[in-house]
Amino acid sequence: MPKPEEYSERKTQLAGWAVNIVTYRLGTTYHTTIDNTNPGAWVVKAQGATKAEAESKAITEAEALLEKVKKSKPPTGCTSVPGF
Amino acid sequence: MTVQTSPAAATQQGVLVSTDWVAQHLTDASIRIVEVDVDTKAYAEGHVPNALGWAWDTQLCDTVRRDIIPKAKFEQLMGQSGISNTTTVILYGDNNNWFAAWALWQLKVYGHKDVRLMNGGRKKWIAEGRELTTDAPKVSPTSYKASEPDNSLRAFLPEVMKASAERAAQLVDVRSPQEYSGEILAPPGLPETCQRGGHIPGAKSIPWGKACNEDGTFKSVEELRALYGSAGITGEKPVIAYCRIGERSSHTWFVLKHLLGYQHVKNYDGSWTEWGNLVAAPVEKP
Repeated sequence: MPKPEEYSERKTQLAGWAVNIVTYRLGTTYHTTIDNTNPGAWVVKAQGATKAEAESKAITEAEALLEKVKKSKPPTGCTSVPGF
Repeated sequence: MTVQTSPAAATQQGVLVSTDWVAQHLTDASIRIVEVDVDTKAYAEGHVPNALGWAWDTQLCDTVRRDIIPKAKFEQLMGQSGISNTTTVILYGDNNNWFAAWALWQLKVYGHKDVRLMNGGRKKWIAEGRELTTDAPKVSPTSYKASEPDNSLRAFLPEVMKASAERAAQLVDVRSPQEYSGEILAPPGLPETCQRGGHIPGAKSIPWGKACNEDGTFKSVEELRALYGSAGITGEKPVIAYCRIGERSSHTWFVLKHLLGYQHVKNYDGSWTEWGNLVAAPVEKP
């Protein structure tokens, strides 16, 4: 059975939000998860043939999502993230 | 069966197991390991060998009305999972065991005797480089008989309204500070939300994540007691925990009820998506 290898974890800011980026390799594929553990975790995941590719995909998707999050005052409409 | 726990956490015995312990009991016939994730696709990407996967949004709730899993469906799920009334169930998942704690809470509601969390959850298992598989385990179905729901573990709206109005119980809001203040309605990326932001009047803000270490494990009993005690949550009065849909508050419920041993702790699974959508409900915003 495969084991996760090259596990790495780092904290950074994306679109003004503190996030945690976790990447590991399983077999020949790198898996990246970006979560935001303070407001409550959300998940963006991506895979790639290299660590850089997996993280780049995940970061792009995460930034696009986070930029849409409204820090708002009510009434706010139906959702905090347009499109959901 | 010996349960491995932190030496400093005597009361954790019986409800927490370490990743080491799980690795040593992967093929133990008296144990069923189950993964429950926020991200319901995570299990299929690779999971603890011999673990089953439950989807919180289809298998651990009533899929018609908003409610926990009905008793008959719960019995069916347990039976199909090869879990008997005497099986030791080990739950783990992503996001520091959010929905694993949600599952544990429901197993306790229906009276399952021996259910435990894998301390650190999926994150710690992966960080430690332990084996993952995509193979589903072979399961021999059983017949399971659940108890009637124990609603001493669950708070419904009228009780929460009374707790807020009369301070009949201590309310703990385990969401993020931004949700508590009303700055945001839900964590980024999560769809379940509400019409108004803020918190239930009288609720104390103690975000769920403060109970965890960086590696996803729970803090020591001493640290947890200090954390909640500093907000006046000492177990002397009844406590009701809430969040947005009830999963993060299951995590805090687990901490207060099972790690700190507080007697009267309830999870308000209606949480902010119920309260924040009520017409004319009082809302506190700092």
